[in-house]
Amino acid sequence: MSPSDSSFPGRSLLRSSEWALVLAIILAVAITALIDANHSYYFKPLESARDIARNTALLGIFALGATVVIIAGGIDLSAGSMIALSGTVCAATMLALAPAEMIGFKPVGPLAVVTAIGASLTAGFLVGTLHAWLVTSIRLPPFIATLATLVGLRSFARALCESTTASFTPTKSALINVYDPFFKTVRDNVWISVAVFGVLALFTWIILTRTVLGRHLYALGGNEQAARLSGIRTDNIKWFAYCYGAMTAALAGLFYVANESVAAPVNQGRGHELNAIAAAVVGGCSLSGGIGSVPGTILGAIFLRVVIDAVSKIIKTGADVYEGLIVGIVVVIAVTLGQLGHFAAGGRRLLPGSLGLCAIPTLSIFCGMIISMTAGARVGLASGLAALVLLGILRVWESRRF
Amino acid sequence: MDQHDTVVSMLGITKQFPGVIALDDVTLHVQAGELLAICGENGAGKSTLMKILSGVYLPDEGELWVRGVPVRFKTTRDAEAAGIAIIHQELNLVEDLSVSANIFLGRELRTSLGFLNERQMIQRSQELLDSLECRISPLSRTGGLRIGDQQLVEIAKALSLDASIVVMDEPTSALTESESRRLERVIGRLRSQGVTIIYISHKMDEVFRLADRIAVLRDGRMVRTENRSAASPQQVTGWMVGRDISNAHAYTPRIPGERVLEVHNLFVPWPGHARGYRLSGVSLNVCRGEVLGIAGLMGAGRTELLETIFGAGPQKWSGEILLRGRSVHFTHPQEACDAGIAMVCEDRKRLGVFPNLTVGSNVSLCTLSRAVRGGLVRRRIEEAMVAQSIRDTGVKTSGLSSNILGLSGGNQQKCIVSRWLLTQPEVLLLDDPTRGIDVGAKAELYALINTLCRRGMAVLVTSSELPELLSLSDRIVVLSEGRVTAEFNRNEASEQRIMEAATLGAFNRTGHELPN
Repeated sequence: MSPSDSSFPGRSLLRSSEWALVLAIILAVAITALIDANHSYYFKPLESARDIARNTALLGIFALGATVVIIAGGIDLSAGSMIALSGTVCAATMLALAPAEMIGFKPVGPLAVVTAIGASLTAGFLVGTLHAWLVTSIRLPPFIATLATLVGLRSFARALCESTTASFTPTKSALINVYDPFFKTVRDNVWISVAVFGVLALFTWIILTRTVLGRHLYALGGNEQAARLSGIRTDNIKWFAYCYGAMTAALAGLFYVANESVAAPVNQGRGHELNAIAAAVVGGCSLSGGIGSVPGTILGAIFLRVVIDAVSKIIKTGADVYEGLIVGIVVVIAVTLGQLGHFAAGGRRLLPGSLGLCAIPTLSIFCGMIISMTAGARVGLASGLAALVLLGILRVWESRRF
Repeated sequence: MDQHDTVVSMLGITKQFPGVIALDDVTLHVQAGELLAICGENGAGKSTLMKILSGVYLPDEGELWVRGVPVRFKTTRDAEAAGIAIIHQELNLVEDLSVSANIFLGRELRTSLGFLNERQMIQRSQELLDSLECRISPLSRTGGLRIGDQQLVEIAKALSLDASIVVMDEPTSALTESESRRLERVIGRLRSQGVTIIYISHKMDEVFRLADRIAVLRDGRMVRTENRSAASPQQVTGWMVGRDISNAHAYTPRIPGERVLEVHNLFVPWPGHARGYRLSGVSLNVCRGEVLGIAGLMGAGRTELLETIFGAGPQKWSGEILLRGRSVHFTHPQEACDAGIAMVCEDRKRLGVFPNLTVGSNVSLCTLSRAVRGGLVRRRIEEAMVAQSIRDTGVKTSGLSSNILGLSGGNQQKCIVSRWLLTQPEVLLLDDPTRGIDVGAKAELYALINTLCRRGMAVLVTSSELPELLSLSDRIVVLSEGRVTAEFNRNEASEQRIMEAATLGAFNRTGHELPN
């Protein structure tokens, strides 16, 4: 990203890199519509859109939190575990307030639901405060602090689940089922999660572009020393950022519980923090801080979900197997495309020296294997060889040019 | 000059950096086996010249001859291969590696099987360290050593290259008295082995004790090269500063008001450093409508003084700071800001500019809350506020939403001054505000400082350029190695007297060192 289009955040709604994302999304949808043998985008457009919207909203909610943390120059690796903790806190609170109803699959009453939601969001606030304290007072690098909670919070959530079920139900259990009609409504009506995501996105956008706090977040991420010397209480800004990150993850955790009708801390949200970070990065956030936007992250989240959906439609096996692979490839390609200008301008080469030489077969083998697993051995072999030849030509062209 | 003895010739060297000419047609001959001292003020181009000799920079123009052969050093390796080693002011050691690993870094000795030959490297390191009177183990962690010993490790590294030409860039600036003496003995030993030494310093006593010849640089030009016996310390300081002071603006006397800021007996510790303190016993005061200049060489404590007043210092301090007669102890710049103090930092790129924000956002940053109505920043109010401020300071920009990095250094600096003027401070701290900006912008800043002062602002300004301080200030306090060594009224001050006070440090540095 060139410095010039990272200017006044939010001056115009979309920047050029974001229009490119819009184009990429349209392209991905069009390709899926064409290649998909079931033609589900033709025959069931509403259903397909609903699927993507649900998944995008779910990812987007905590990707917005990740965006705020990244703009402030930090990183939050713990979002997935926060999702598990939030869901567990919510279910455990309801179980504690209304054990008989929870066990008998009956409504627990609005008071218990509201208290449970409040407890989850409070948990998010507390975790955010813990992160900010570790980062500012103990001076842990954000990566280390949130790596510790990534591991620790999930374990904590499992322990909480087991001890609560042991106290309020006959047997201890690794999950708590949630049958309250409130959560059923949320599950059955996709547009609730989309609406919550929309409102949250608008709120985040206003904070980032129209408030002093937002400006200070960008300043902190852009130059922390200068921000402090300009009289900004950088510790408080970081406190806000980490709380925002953890509380959006807590909010997302409630939707996970609703969608799956269960709080299952063992696996709920596992690894999803990286999807959120990926959405932010694809949307133009710089991991060194100070750069990023809400429209970018929304588009990044949509793009990720559309591509994942496309692969599941086209190859028809469980998309979850390939989800990680797709996210990884999309992130690498998106960031590489953003840097291509620098490569050309700085005379840098994509395949330099012996490392570049070794990268050619590595990439070709990966390419061939991925395609042979999804589209058959013969096509895979052909694509692998094609990649080998193309990369070889690129290498020769580069060494002639420089 | 006998051409056969000339080991290094630098002919017509010119080097430009964006906006500055660091070296302008410099010619220098170094004779085999001599110790040549290079003197000059901060920014005179001493370090740049030596970085060209050692392959860190390529010159824009000019030729470099070593032992009668023209050379072109693209990297420090090239220079090392020609027997030239440099010991930088900022040491280049990997702190977490052992001493012997540092000495052989990048040129590790290997066994016949290709593994590291630790035993031989340790043994060679030990021999080198012994020859330098350095009583440290080659196995100790480099980061845990005192600065003086780290420097000897650098010298050992240079010797392990069999360097016949060693450049030392202000080697004693961080050393205690006994460490300096040891270094002088080491230099003597190197010279007896026929090593040529180029020694950068602005400490006159050292220079006159060690050097055979003295070369003086000023503003990127070679002023004079003289045998030591033919020069006196006063003459050399004179050559270092003696430029035509043509850029001085007309000064009309100002009448200072009441005292607004007083500093009494300020002590700022410096744990882990040989000196033990950054500032010691510093007292000064500044009145409304007065410019107080703070002079001092690099490392004298100018920045630390301003940072401590501003609540941005890294250390705890003792002493007393009075603002409008009331004792204050700021722990965060925000408190200083609220109390009416503003500070423009020395390193604009690192501590001032927000590269990801626009010109407008950079200026409004400290006072953005004034543009808030109903919780939201009103763009129109913000823009009006910024536009007013940058009109006063004369920022030239294509628009408020253009990128700050697109502006010249001078305009960036004016943006930062605008940012602070919006906070309507009573005391303005300017840390080397004209560093790296062009002459026109400098003149505008001088005029601005004069205007602000006449409106009743108290200004503390530091500068590495003495003529600038002399033309700006009503009074000048001179710091040397963390202590106030002189204070002059405007009419008493001269470059010569300031420079003498600023180089005093070496003589009154006693009592703070530990036995080795």
